[in-house]
Amino acid sequence: MTQPTDILREPAERQFASQLAALAQHDPDSPPSSWKLSPRSVLAYVVGTPKPLVLTVNGKSVTVPITRKFFGDDAIVERAIVTLASERALLLVGEPGTGKSWLSEHLAAAISGCSTLTIQGTAGTTEDQIKYGWNVARVIANGPTPDNLIPSPTMIAMRTGALVRFEEITRCVPDVQDALVSILSDKHIAVPELPDANMVFARPGFNIIATANSRDQGVNEMSAALKRRFNYIHIPVVGDQKTEIAIVRERSKELLERYHIPGRIEEPVLDVLATVFREMRSGTGADGQTFAKPSTPLSTAEAIGVALDAAIHARYFGSGAVGVADIARNLVGSVVKDDLADLAVLREYLSVVAKKRALKDPTWKAFHDAATKAVASAS
Amino acid sequence: MEGVPRRGDQGRRQRVVTELPDIADVQARADRVLADELYWFPVRHHSPAVARHLQAAIRARRPKLVLIEGPAHASELIRHVVDSKTRPPIALYSSYRDDDNVLGLAGVASPAPDIPARFPVWYPLLAYSPEYVAMVEAAALGAAAVFIDLPAHALIDPKSWADADDEPRTRETSWEDIAVETTFYRTMARVAGYRSWDEAWDALFEIGHRHADHEAFRRDLAYFCGAVRATTPAARLERDGTLPRERFMARAIAAELAARGLAASEAMVVCGGFHIFLDRADPVAPPPTPAGTCLATVVPYSYFRVSELAGYGAANRAPRYYQAVWDHRGDQVAGRSGPPPGSVAEGQVAGRDWVDEPWIGAMVDHVTAVLGRGRKDGERLSSADAIAVTQHARLLASLRGRPAPILDDLRDALVSCCVKGRPEEEGHGLLKAMTATEVGSAVGRVTPALGRLPILHDFHAQLDDLELGEVMGRDQRLLLTLDLREDQGARRSAFLHRLRRLEVELGTLEGGATGDGTRLFREKWRLAWTPQVEPQLIERNHYGDTVEAAALARLEEDVAKAQRHAGETARLLRDAVTMQLPHVVRKLAGAVAAAIDEDRRFASQAEALVHLLVLDRMAIQRDLGRDAIAELAARAYTRACLAIGEVVGVPPEQQEPTLAHLKALAEAALSDTQDRALFTAQVRVAAAAATLPFMQGALAGILTELREVTPEELAQRVAAFAASPPARMVLAGEFLDGAFAVSKTSLLLGADALIAAIDELLRAAPWEDFLVLLPRVRHAFERLHERQRLAFADRVAGRYGVGEEARLDELPSTSAAAAVYLASLDARVAAIMKDWTF
Repeated sequence: MTQPTDILREPAERQFASQLAALAQHDPDSPPSSWKLSPRSVLAYVVGTPKPLVLTVNGKSVTVPITRKFFGDDAIVERAIVTLASERALLLVGEPGTGKSWLSEHLAAAISGCSTLTIQGTAGTTEDQIKYGWNVARVIANGPTPDNLIPSPTMIAMRTGALVRFEEITRCVPDVQDALVSILSDKHIAVPELPDANMVFARPGFNIIATANSRDQGVNEMSAALKRRFNYIHIPVVGDQKTEIAIVRERSKELLERYHIPGRIEEPVLDVLATVFREMRSGTGADGQTFAKPSTPLSTAEAIGVALDAAIHARYFGSGAVGVADIARNLVGSVVKDDLADLAVLREYLSVVAKKRALKDPTWKAFHDAATKAVASAS
Repeated sequence: MEGVPRRGDQGRRQRVVTELPDIADVQARADRVLADELYWFPVRHHSPAVARHLQAAIRARRPKLVLIEGPAHASELIRHVVDSKTRPPIALYSSYRDDDNVLGLAGVASPAPDIPARFPVWYPLLAYSPEYVAMVEAAALGAAAVFIDLPAHALIDPKSWADADDEPRTRETSWEDIAVETTFYRTMARVAGYRSWDEAWDALFEIGHRHADHEAFRRDLAYFCGAVRATTPAARLERDGTLPRERFMARAIAAELAARGLAASEAMVVCGGFHIFLDRADPVAPPPTPAGTCLATVVPYSYFRVSELAGYGAANRAPRYYQAVWDHRGDQVAGRSGPPPGSVAEGQVAGRDWVDEPWIGAMVDHVTAVLGRGRKDGERLSSADAIAVTQHARLLASLRGRPAPILDDLRDALVSCCVKGRPEEEGHGLLKAMTATEVGSAVGRVTPALGRLPILHDFHAQLDDLELGEVMGRDQRLLLTLDLREDQGARRSAFLHRLRRLEVELGTLEGGATGDGTRLFREKWRLAWTPQVEPQLIERNHYGDTVEAAALARLEEDVAKAQRHAGETARLLRDAVTMQLPHVVRKLAGAVAAAIDEDRRFASQAEALVHLLVLDRMAIQRDLGRDAIAELAARAYTRACLAIGEVVGVPPEQQEPTLAHLKALAEAALSDTQDRALFTAQVRVAAAAATLPFMQGALAGILTELREVTPEELAQRVAAFAASPPARMVLAGEFLDGAFAVSKTSLLLGADALIAAIDELLRAAPWEDFLVLLPRVRHAFERLHERQRLAFADRVAGRYGVGEEARLDELPSTSAAAAVYLASLDARVAAIMKDWTF
């Protein structure tokens, strides 16, 4: 259902437009003010439905499967949706690569039909980027007027009753973070420079979805006042192998389509990839052996990255079919980032776990041999 | 199951139809039961909704007889249950003792073949337990109420004890245990997205929106139970006792009706939802009840005991929370139409009378209680949080297709709104407050008309007799000093020791981590009443009817468990003496003797010796036969001496307790009551075999203390390290540490020689080795008492020509810089030693 376009990465509301339209046509409830879908349909959009829906466009009917976007406990999504319908803002916290931004984007797409009102939190983020700025040249020429004001994504979201996404909020310095306190309490932004139109009030439906990396939480601890205005929802690392394989399968399929790479990654290859990531992450093999854990968080997103890199490699430098050897070659870069000691960790895993399996299983043998070679050349 | 609320995408999820029961058949079967002349009301234990509808049904039907699922032999107790002075939580308590071992489980289900097996069973009743409500309503109507269930001990299967797992299998299986295993329930839970049985139950039956009245509720529950039963294998029902119980119930119902000359329409049956489908024509006879002693009574119970945390089978996940739901049941009487304000579902179920008020009232009570408790524990939680939680819970309930929040929604809302991070870390305090508030701490009360459970009666009588009554029911500590030479002091001590043996938390004995203070004439107890005291006594009731009898039975059980462990058995003998159980002392003495003869472990024998020596000291005051104890002590001493060889290879973490045992043995050897030569010889053998410097030092120290080795000889051994290669030299600290650990007085006698040896050692040590050596040497000296250290310091000062009047900072040969350096060195050594464990 995803059509190739000239845009490298379409926002969710465009990529999944037909799913959103189908859900809107079949919505059993009335959406809250300014929401495009009711909470139940938002939930259905994020967790998928077993049966496809029929979408009627210009009198023509097409069947649209509603795919699962978020793999994990549905209660997390329910809590997130309910938070966005309440007085409080939503903060998704978790390890890197657990799908916080992904969930945030889909929630904004389903609720507001727009996931691009986004502020990227960095150490250089300023209060202007959260509230508003001015076209300086025009202010010099004409003084401050509403036309010379540059609204932030927050201000646009307030005017339209939409959701604004604030990525990596804890990367911002506390003073800048605190600009949100009054926005979340009073639901308006004061513009003292404009005497006649000095208030921008939020329309119903306005809210904020922020994300924070739990490893970075201490970088810029949020103030107690701001914390109080957020409901925190912790996104755990994927709980089981089956779910992780499903995530890697779905996401890599989408990415392969985006990069116009034909073919798919076969199930045994996905199984090896997910197994390696899960075992290395926990430091325990399925057979009970223990080994050192790498310093990098081996998230599901990282596994997807390995799968995609392997597919691109196979497409341009191999036979086109993605084998475990392709996965093995790309694994080194994922596991060993800034700490060369992780190379020894990977070597240990290959010797303790993979080698044993390689004796019985040809897929694991191919993986072991290729990964061992890759580790040797990286040393 | 029309209108079953589903979470999330209502109605769009695919139904799984395989392995599901024939709905028409289930419905027809249930309809036949529902249309029966005898009125059957299916129940789930501890369900406010069932209790509410059952109450309405009884009031509407006004039966003359109410037949209730409860142990038939306890029907006499119903009048005490409904007594106005009885207040739940309570439990029907039944204890069966197989006096003549007819089940053949003595020694299997009991600690020893000569101890009869006991099987206690509790049937908890909360204010909202349907069975309790049925009894109360029947009493209010003047109707008779009787129990119709098979006594639990009739279900004891001796064969099942062959692979026993310690748990007496006397509790009947609840139909809920069976329900969660059925394909019907599993399929429904998967389709509707229920995460647990409790969530499914609350969504289907507790929230009142699907049932207009008690008849609609009864019908729906009957269909549900019918479907559960239709997907349960018959073998499972036979195995878990369901069918034998139903055979008994069918006969009991018929017998009660016949005996009272009542028509079936004049009675009603209140039983587990499963049992309304019992086969009334089943020709198989129920199992007979085994002969023995059976005690049944009503006892106070607690929310904690009925909660899942206590491991009770048909547990209630949140007794206090559901009590709030029950307490708010009157809220719906005011009634109003329309969904709760602010609900996302507003307008969806227009025209239906909402009956969700109990849940809203309970929600507000619960949330404020959780946050209040959290605040008390230091959590930052405000009223704004309470508002956010209730709003969040309502919206979640609405999203999940419920008219009001159930406990699962409240839990999710509390975590969403109040936990700022990972629930198991940042939310730890709140989760604790949630659990505590859900469970509650209420303890019930039983009418005085019944009389207390004998053990409780005895407990209170003794408290009065010993003038300890003031400690009960007061939330404050009482410090009690007992003089054991006085009669009351001795009796109080025995009473408190007996409670300690029964693990009843009324008092703790001051003095040492183990609280076993070896004081002969004086004991200090810290007494504090907790709500657990009575429930704990109730739980120990099966040991005996008095505190003394129960303590004795418990002691016998512990002795049976401690078989062949000399130390443990001797400790129990000592406990028997402190508990003043003289008639068991002789029996225990035999057990101790057998254990001493069989046990080959040094630590165990030395431990036994310590206990026996204490007992020997107590013997005069306690009027015990000293000869028997002395004989046991001598045997333990001999065995311990013969096992000294073990200490040579003791791992570092066991070194300190081993030294304590060696010192105890040395003390006994020096007392001249034991064979000193045997000990000396064994220590010499061990010292020759020891390879670890610490144990070498310790054994050499003991020999010095025994005057078998002179301090000068010991000093020579220290000095020998000075002449050793560096690898050996650095071990001198460990040797000294071991020696100082066991010998102090004797070393002081030869202090000059020892100081000379240490001096020689320190002079010989190169700088790097000195640094390695120093901390352990320092640790050795820190084992000494301050006065002993000063005595050593004086000798050192004398050796270097410093008089008494001189001070360290005035040492003529020490510059200020050197003094500063020494001080910094000392601080560094202290810092290093902080991380050391010896």
